[in-house]
Amino acid sequence: MSKKNKPANSAPKPPVQEQQTKLPELPEDDFDMLDFDDDPLSATGVSRKSLVIFFLIDTSGSMKGTKMGELNTVMEELIPEIRRVGEADTEVKIAVLTFSTGVKWMYAEPIAIEEFEWQRLTASGVTSMGEAFKELSMRMSRNSFLNSPSLSFAPVIFLMTDGYPSDDYKEGLEALSSNSWYKFGLKAALGIGNEANDDMLAEFTGSKDTVVHAYSGNQLAQMIKIVAVTASQIGSKSMTLADQNEQELSDEDVYASKQKMLGQQIQELVSKNESDDVSFDSGW
Amino acid sequence: MTELSIGQEVEIENGGKAKVTGIIGSGGQGVVYSVEYNSMSWALKWYDISKMKEPAAFKNNIKKNIEDGAPSNKFLWPKYLTKNQPDGTFGYLMELKPDSFDSFVDILNTYKLKVDPLTGRAVKHPVRFTDLSAMVTAAINISNAFRQLHRAGKSYQDLNDGGFFVNVNTGAILVCDCDNIAPDGSNFGIGGKPGYMAPEIVRGLAKPDVQTDKYSLAVVLFKLLFRGDPMEGEKVIKDVCLTEAAELKHYGSQAVFVYDPDNDTNRPVRGIHDNVIKFWRLYPDYIKYAFIDSFTKGLTDPNRRLIENEWQKMFVRLRYEIITCPCGRQNFTSMFEAVDDKTYKCPKCGTTFATLKFSNREQRMPLYIGSKIYECELKPETDDFAAVAGELVENKLKPGVLGIKNCSDETWRVRMPDGVYYDVAPGKGCPIWQGLEIQFEDSNVSAWI
Repeated sequence: MSKKNKPANSAPKPPVQEQQTKLPELPEDDFDMLDFDDDPLSATGVSRKSLVIFFLIDTSGSMKGTKMGELNTVMEELIPEIRRVGEADTEVKIAVLTFSTGVKWMYAEPIAIEEFEWQRLTASGVTSMGEAFKELSMRMSRNSFLNSPSLSFAPVIFLMTDGYPSDDYKEGLEALSSNSWYKFGLKAALGIGNEANDDMLAEFTGSKDTVVHAYSGNQLAQMIKIVAVTASQIGSKSMTLADQNEQELSDEDVYASKQKMLGQQIQELVSKNESDDVSFDSGW
Repeated sequence: MTELSIGQEVEIENGGKAKVTGIIGSGGQGVVYSVEYNSMSWALKWYDISKMKEPAAFKNNIKKNIEDGAPSNKFLWPKYLTKNQPDGTFGYLMELKPDSFDSFVDILNTYKLKVDPLTGRAVKHPVRFTDLSAMVTAAINISNAFRQLHRAGKSYQDLNDGGFFVNVNTGAILVCDCDNIAPDGSNFGIGGKPGYMAPEIVRGLAKPDVQTDKYSLAVVLFKLLFRGDPMEGEKVIKDVCLTEAAELKHYGSQAVFVYDPDNDTNRPVRGIHDNVIKFWRLYPDYIKYAFIDSFTKGLTDPNRRLIENEWQKMFVRLRYEIITCPCGRQNFTSMFEAVDDKTYKCPKCGTTFATLKFSNREQRMPLYIGSKIYECELKPETDDFAAVAGELVENKLKPGVLGIKNCSDETWRVRMPDGVYYDVAPGKGCPIWQGLEIQFEDSNVSAWI
């Protein structure tokens, strides 16, 4: 009968109650809620971090035909793939800004990925990229598109274009550069065809690693998927662990680590896809 | 990585081939396929070895785990390794998750998405525990699974919401993704999932081990009960954007528990963390103390983190402190009025509840139709938390008369209303009366009104 009359708390370690832990003081008004609902099971979903993925798409006249057709198709197919990346932690939203002679948002505000439906785009006009940058900078604000009350991840910004800007993109880029969301955001760009200028796109993304190029319809579809899926995967998750160096990580160690990771992964995937295209008589 | 296509066959080290039948999902380390092997369905985890530092050592560790076997049936453990592909890619087979289990991710979201195969549209289906007892049982089982694992000298390393499945009707759990499990002290490259990682890992000062598992376990349990992030409060929300530096700060060097009694800078924010604000009020103090200790002292001192057995005992207690009132209210005794030291009263409908005193514990157990005496309350060494020893029922022949039915396979000695002790065999019962005493002789425990 050794266990008899032995209180459950007399474990080898002293029970936590005796460690003189105190309870936090809570504001009185918190009590009101109990009058209505004290069911321990009536939970709402855990508060999720939000991630907005911005697509900046060139819809100038030169995109007409195969390019636009491929782009529309791949974007429709892409949505279900991105839907899976958020899981419990992140609420993913999509915003699409098109630019040609003017700029236009596909929807008046970012739309949750579960509800997002792609509207097929058509091409005409010139390439007002600078204006698109200015518009994006204006909307990437707590008072506008990034108004989630809970915590946000830095946005993903994906630029796709097939030509050189017809307006002063430098001025637009300057406006954008002063926006912190842009500064911390994950930026990637896709140049389509021979006219697109990769150096100019690298100015936008901040590095060459996050710029890719597509020369055929097939490549276009591949590149959009690679960049969009990789960027949303990295963007919707917290940073992954750096190598342990037995030394405490500093802010500098982790600065832009996601952007670097994006560059690395995109380059890996792109090189893998390119090697598939090598013809039999090359590379010897 | 070498991806597999449907219909493709992969050679298994033990012989035979597994044929890919579909994709189940993809994660940071690779893709999970459904496969047929030996005319049975399995899940195949297929690695992206380009993301691994030492694929051979990683594979060898899985091999060792397969040889050792699962610590218990609470694990979806690796069963068979595949042979390497020419480029070195490999994977392992494990059992498929039964349909009756939902991902913990879906429980936290309170819904799961089912995609209509025709339209591609995603439809939400609610996911929630059937009753409070099932939820607390899940907490017991989670604590127990990690106790079993740690007792086997291994650490899980990557404990997070995606790592296990729960049956919302029973509270049974299945731990999956067991491929990073390694002998305590070894690490094959995994760091863990942010938000679940111990601060010393986030800061780059430590690698996952049993002590960091204990931190992650506390986070999982907090999320299960309070449905929020223990470190995400006002201080974190103020930063608006969770940049890499913000994350290092709020989950590493300057992490503050939302209910730290000595630091109120990071309290939950109304409108964002309503779950945490509400549920913190409902739980008894001993549960709150456990989390406060884990996330204040335990934040910086791994030795101050609660051990699994303490969590387990605490949740066994919490489960028998549940009252299901005839008015429909289901809550813990801490949310009922104590009329005297033996009686509880529902503050909403006024129903009173008698209690049973057990010789092996201080707290009395409230009695209501359906209340259960679990085997694990009589035999603390068991790892089975579902087995019921006795249940409070209404006599089928004498309506209105309540008694305790012996659901165990052992005979009890019981003092009946005539004052005499009788044997109560399995399947029989005894009425509840003022002088009731039950002797559970096999476990040396007795109980009385």
